[in-house]
Amino acid sequence: MPSTNGPGWQRRRGEDPVLPEVLHVLWERRLLVIGVVLVLVLVSAVFGLREQRFYTAEATVSFQPREGSRAGEDPEAFVEGVLGAVTARGFLRDVMREADWADGPEKFGERLDVERYDGANGASGLRVRFSGANAVEATRSANAYADVFVARVEQLNDRRLAGGTLAADASVEEYASPEGWASPRPFVLAAAAIVAGVIVGGAAALLLESRARSWRNARDAELTLRAPVLGVIPDYSSEEG
Amino acid sequence: MMDLSSAHDAGARRLLHPDPSVKRSFEELANNLLALGERPLRVAVTGPERGAGCSSVCLGISAALAGMGRRAAVVDCNLRDPDLHQMLGEPNFLGLTTALESGRALENYGFEVLPGLLVIPTGPVPVAPSTLLESERFVEAVRGLGEGRDLVLLDAPVAGTLLGSPMLAGGFDGVLLVVHASRTSKNTAREVTEDLLDAGVNLLGVVLNGSPAGTA
Repeated sequence: MPSTNGPGWQRRRGEDPVLPEVLHVLWERRLLVIGVVLVLVLVSAVFGLREQRFYTAEATVSFQPREGSRAGEDPEAFVEGVLGAVTARGFLRDVMREADWADGPEKFGERLDVERYDGANGASGLRVRFSGANAVEATRSANAYADVFVARVEQLNDRRLAGGTLAADASVEEYASPEGWASPRPFVLAAAAIVAGVIVGGAAALLLESRARSWRNARDAELTLRAPVLGVIPDYSSEEG
Repeated sequence: MMDLSSAHDAGARRLLHPDPSVKRSFEELANNLLALGERPLRVAVTGPERGAGCSSVCLGISAALAGMGRRAAVVDCNLRDPDLHQMLGEPNFLGLTTALESGRALENYGFEVLPGLLVIPTGPVPVAPSTLLESERFVEAVRGLGEGRDLVLLDAPVAGTLLGSPMLAGGFDGVLLVVHASRTSKNTAREVTEDLLDAGVNLLGVVLNGSPAGTA
């Protein structure tokens, strides 16, 4: 076929960006997108209100070999030794008592999250997180864990004098404060609902648009075909009987 | 010149004597088209699928030009399904095919709808109509028709058929694509546009026909 080089306009496939067309479709079907966003925000609000909210508080404890002891020669064995010795023999029971916890060890264990970390100068530590029904309960339980841990290390040090082997210093690095965070956080849920709404609503708008047989105006035609519109002829079919 | 009362298609009467807003739209389209190139401009008018209103757009543009004191011609190239003569209530005994077979000038086989507006129907449809449109004679005949005129519009078959006809698609100054605001599928129109461009067709632009908004 002879290729023409006349006065017209040429474009290669995929040359122009699709973004303007997508934005145009979203704008033209903005009521649909906004509707989907509102529905999802409403659903997230209902979910957030019905779902039990948990407050999470965090305390940190650090421990290291006591100066002059031989425990520092094998740090890993030291940490394992401390954790094994401290958390044995009714440790959680003592923590629950300290925290005034009455719902039993199983639920306490579900709410508790202890994570080990390596600190500076050969020190090791624990991040103790506790999710409670309210900020006071979460704070009290996290701090109780930290306090009991430190107290237990001291007890084991005392026993060393009576023939034990542990020689460690432990301290609470940071107590949990009542300004912990709540989960699920309403603003996170709302933001997620908005993002999901834009995605779902946008996809629905694009799907409807691709199946549409109605062209709104010249701008619509220009963006859909990515070609210049030379003229728009109004519908004159109903002007005469 | 033909008697307009014979145009039994109400749409055709409205195109030849449009109300002011429709007339203004066609005049604007005609001016935009003429601004694209040197005259005479010879343009094939096609649509992504049937029902886009190519014949109406051809008549509307050329009637608008005639109303502006210019000269235009429309040639019905829908050899498989001619309808321009029906819109105008005219017979189809003579037309494009007769001219190509006889070797005489195309303007001898048309009828003047308005002063300055000549319409050439297809004429009797031969057994193998597509071969007629593939001849150099066809291109020469249309070029001859353009002499002394500002615009020659070729009322072409749908784009899929047009792409199978190298002379129609690439033998003239370009192609005008007509989409209908409520009948043309957007997906089909998008695919057809890409196909035209991929085939190297000189796409002059698009006409949005039957728009409810009525303006650009």
